[in-house]
Amino acid sequence: MKTAAKIFLYISLALLAVWVLPWAWRIVTLKSYSTPFTLYSCVIHDFTRLERSDSKDLTFIDRKGNVYSDEVQPLFYGRVLNTKGALPDTLEGRPVTLALIDSMNVVFDASPKDFNRKVIPVCLLMESVPFRMELQDPEDAFVIRKEGIVLYDIKDNTVQEEKTKAFSDALASQGFVFPVAQYSGNPSHHKSYDEGYLLIDSAGNLFQLKQVNGEPYARRFTQADGIGARYVNITELSSMALMGWFTDGADNMYFLRPDGQVFRSDVKYNPAKESLLGVGDIFYYTIKVSDDDGEKFYALRADDFSLVDSMDRPYEFEKEFNLCKYIFPCRLYFTSSKETWVRPHFVDFSWIGLIVDLAAIAAIVFIRQRRKNKARK
Amino acid sequence: MGKMILYKEWLKTKGFIFGALGALVLLVFYCLLSIVKTAQLNGTETLWVLILQRDYVLVETLKYFPVALGALLAVVQYLPEISRKRLKLTLHLPYPQKKTVFAMYGYGLIVLLAFFAFISIVILIVFRHFVAGELVTRIFATVAVWFLAGIAAYLWGAAICLEPTWKMRAVLIGLLAALLLLLFISSTPEAYNRILVGLFIYVLCGQLLVFNSILRFKEGLQD
Repeated sequence: MKTAAKIFLYISLALLAVWVLPWAWRIVTLKSYSTPFTLYSCVIHDFTRLERSDSKDLTFIDRKGNVYSDEVQPLFYGRVLNTKGALPDTLEGRPVTLALIDSMNVVFDASPKDFNRKVIPVCLLMESVPFRMELQDPEDAFVIRKEGIVLYDIKDNTVQEEKTKAFSDALASQGFVFPVAQYSGNPSHHKSYDEGYLLIDSAGNLFQLKQVNGEPYARRFTQADGIGARYVNITELSSMALMGWFTDGADNMYFLRPDGQVFRSDVKYNPAKESLLGVGDIFYYTIKVSDDDGEKFYALRADDFSLVDSMDRPYEFEKEFNLCKYIFPCRLYFTSSKETWVRPHFVDFSWIGLIVDLAAIAAIVFIRQRRKNKARK
Repeated sequence: MGKMILYKEWLKTKGFIFGALGALVLLVFYCLLSIVKTAQLNGTETLWVLILQRDYVLVETLKYFPVALGALLAVVQYLPEISRKRLKLTLHLPYPQKKTVFAMYGYGLIVLLAFFAFISIVILIVFRHFVAGELVTRIFATVAVWFLAGIAAYLWGAAICLEPTWKMRAVLIGLLAALLLLLFISSTPEAYNRILVGLFIYVLCGQLLVFNSILRFKEGLQD
């Protein structure tokens, strides 16, 4: 019993050491690091990064180092330029107005935390075509089970048998194969319209499910058949230019139009590991995919999501002296900015740390043994 | 003899148990009142929205009750053993020592489990009425971590109280603090699902520390 207790105690102390001490060291040595906001310019057709000049004005710098004012981004800074009277009448041979710019500007993002979390198999269901035009809080919910979905009236927590059958039949008629592999929806009235849910079935096909006038509306995106969708995200952008995006098993990114058109892009993106930021306008979408090592920018044409340009920006960290590497064989942490799970991650394995620890243990054992021998004599 | 030990533990803790029960009833009453009032004033659908979109489990009021219960029960049960020097007598009873120690902390664990069962039954009855079973499961998976913190506080608390030296006591306090930090490091519901079984096994291994403290006490270790 005593030996077992000692082993348990030593293991606990070792875990505590590799968890708390490297954590404390990181907090002490932590330095902020940020990268400049970067957008593709429809004027100079190059990526421009936003920086403050010596006179504290905002300037845009392209990849060759040329410096521009905000006129190089007339769509992102349309309102500012309009106030100054500097908004161009035409861009890329197309007339532009402030109203058009406002209606077509879009921003969307995603973080690995959105996907690395416990998925609740319960989805609030809104009425997509509300009687009074304004979106209302959901009154129904569907529960996803292995064999199908069950509709609940959430006002009194009762199963709606008829609606369950209607929604299940609607999905079945489109060839949906249960169970649901992944889904995305945003059942909130803080948006201009509702597209319900995008669902991936167990065969990797993509579907939409929403409630229209109390009736089910299910649609299969036939252009996505055979792609093997893995992650999906609904965007419901106010411009209605983009309904959502999804990725396949090889991390290829696809864009989904509200009319059901699917566009494969050259963007490589793994939603479980990388963050996404998309800024779009009438002509181009700038997509930023970032991970621990750096950022990758893609400029896509807004009409067909074809690649126009791309750019890599690796992070340029100054390598800090890592004391823990010389003391501990690894680092343990339980929470991460990439997931909501609390679970142990053993990282940064160090042979030096392992050798140092083994030598320290051997020295302690040796000294203790010597003391014992002396005491016996 | 086992029954006698349990009776001794009951005599020591009955005042605390009734006090804790009173506090729990008040907390549960407050918690239920706020849930029922929310449902009455804003509609039952608000409860669904709070759970699904705001990451609430609606019983957050009870979050630190289990850990406080576990720690205080350990203090009430074991501090008199040390401060009034009863432990030596207890260990010299004509009964196997392991069984004596097991009966002591087994009693404490049963008391804790009874409290946790009461909380679980209330959650089950109330929430089954308002939300789907899947959401009740979500609440239970979240509350389970709080219960685990209660058991950890009790077992480690017992080991700390029974430990004869301050040096080892400080080590145990450090370990308990780290364990509780881990158990409350995230407030996201179901965040611990993937390590819940592992944590449960680790927390139960805390029994070894109770026995270790007793053995060290018997060896006559002192600061």
